[in-house]
Amino acid sequence: MPASATQIVLRYIAAILVVAIFMFPIAWWGLTSIKPISAIFNKDTVVFFDFTPTLDNYRVTLLGKSRAELAIESGSTFGVGGASSYDSRQTILDSTIIAIGSTVLTVGIGLLAAYALSRLTFRGRQTYLAWVLSQRFMPPIAIIVPVVFMLHYVDLRDTHVGLIFVHALVNLPIAVLLMKSFFDDVPQEIDESALIDGATRFQTFRLVVLPMVRGGIASTAVLCFIFSWTEFLLSLFLTTSIRTLPVKITTFVTSTGSEWGFISALGTSAIVPSFIFILLVQKQLVRGLTLGSIKG
Amino acid sequence: MDTTPAFVRSAPRFALPRFLTSEHPFPWLFPSTALLVIFGIYPLLYAIYLSLFRRHPATRTYIFDPAWNWTKVFADERVWGAIGHTFLYTIIALIIELVLGMLIALLLDSDRRGFGLMRALMTLPLVVPPAVTGMMFLLMLDGSFGVLSRGLYNAGLLSPQYPILATGSTALFGVLLADIWQWTPFMVLIMLAGMRALPREPFEAAAIDGASATQAFFKLTLPMMSKIIALAVLIRGVDLFRIYDYVKVMTDSGPGTATETLTAYSGTVYFKNADFPYASTIALLTLVLVLITSNVFIKIFRVRF
Repeated sequence: MPASATQIVLRYIAAILVVAIFMFPIAWWGLTSIKPISAIFNKDTVVFFDFTPTLDNYRVTLLGKSRAELAIESGSTFGVGGASSYDSRQTILDSTIIAIGSTVLTVGIGLLAAYALSRLTFRGRQTYLAWVLSQRFMPPIAIIVPVVFMLHYVDLRDTHVGLIFVHALVNLPIAVLLMKSFFDDVPQEIDESALIDGATRFQTFRLVVLPMVRGGIASTAVLCFIFSWTEFLLSLFLTTSIRTLPVKITTFVTSTGSEWGFISALGTSAIVPSFIFILLVQKQLVRGLTLGSIKG
Repeated sequence: MDTTPAFVRSAPRFALPRFLTSEHPFPWLFPSTALLVIFGIYPLLYAIYLSLFRRHPATRTYIFDPAWNWTKVFADERVWGAIGHTFLYTIIALIIELVLGMLIALLLDSDRRGFGLMRALMTLPLVVPPAVTGMMFLLMLDGSFGVLSRGLYNAGLLSPQYPILATGSTALFGVLLADIWQWTPFMVLIMLAGMRALPREPFEAAAIDGASATQAFFKLTLPMMSKIIALAVLIRGVDLFRIYDYVKVMTDSGPGTATETLTAYSGTVYFKNADFPYASTIALLTLVLVLITSNVFIKIFRVRF
């Protein structure tokens, strides 16, 4: 039944309204990061947009400027103190190293397992799949205390390598199941003809099948990167001197008050890479979130 | 005709045992199995082992006492409180996110101009780091200058004397708001994928027979999507059950213990009391509850991956 013009307009209005509501927190967050402190903490009126935007918050968090320097520049003495701890350049570097490291490790290891689970027939294949899946459902808190002890014992506590391994563990089930679903999309006959031509399994994998699932692997890698980039609990427990972005942000909340300008500036910086990446993998997002079982 | 094979297998100088060749699953699965065992299974067994010890508070030594933590955990009122908060949080969030997600998916399921863009925008909340989401809502719900709090005050829904996150009876709902904002898009995406994969014929037949859109939804869309809905609920439910980030960032289990979930309580025992065996015990209890609940769910709704 064709929709009338009024119905179409109403639907547009409703849809735009809903999307706008969901975009509001992000917009508000971004706006907060470029507002002067006085506008953020205004108790009398809500300042939606301040026409004197400032990049001071970014200069402190991303360029390592101290607050004292800022105060001297502007000639005011408002909020001087607490200097170096807001500089987040090292944090961004740490987060990037850990996210890239764990992505490479997860995809590398997961690729082999995914191919075997998709192509080879062996006893216990379903059991192995179920086991990998069950790892996804394990609450990380259940293993955190022993993992802290373990990493401490081998001197990997509070190192990039330690966190890379733990993030790889968390992401591996998703990566394996997701990449298996991409391998399943490639018809078996292609492998078989390569095998008949005399290729070994590994040659078939590397030279024939792998090039065909390149897109799927890229999407898996992007999702692994995002999961590691946004992970909070494990990073909080396993690190003290190395800080990933989500953990660092929470340290800006102090007993004497929260530095909302810096928090929102660093928060915005943490969101932007995620947004860019997610727009690249729109098509595979549903598949990734459902571990390969729903093909969006 | 050229009959040269594409791959020429050179004769091996020595023969590897079969389980080391690429025909056997062993070399393929070895790296992932190693990672899962070393960082997954071993710590889990270690956690069980650890839960059998009692921590002596003064000497900080561990004394083997298998029953100690497990009797303590069931007698601990904070554990029961945490179980209650966790289930309440999970169930409320699931219902709201599922219903809202379904409605928004129905609304956005259109091929008209602009709807594709709106669907893309809806995915953005999903990838905001949860700790940052917690911060966003902490800012917006701030008792004195938060934009959302003020909106609620002006609408007469809240009173400035009882800031939402600092009042025991409402704090959990404040935390839920962040969860709902971040994860409703998850449901929207999955429902949209499900709706787009539905066959057209039954709907055409129903329209010819004079069924209304509402009837078509309840009699066709919902039953045909039941598998996908069950799967989405399972995945989201398991994640909700281990909720930690928002609670830690927004209220730190407070005020008092009003928003303390199981994971958060375990974290508190770990950080504040350094009672590692007891922290492990609470964490293991969380795992057991997840296993029981999810398996019952899988059995009832016959979820398949």
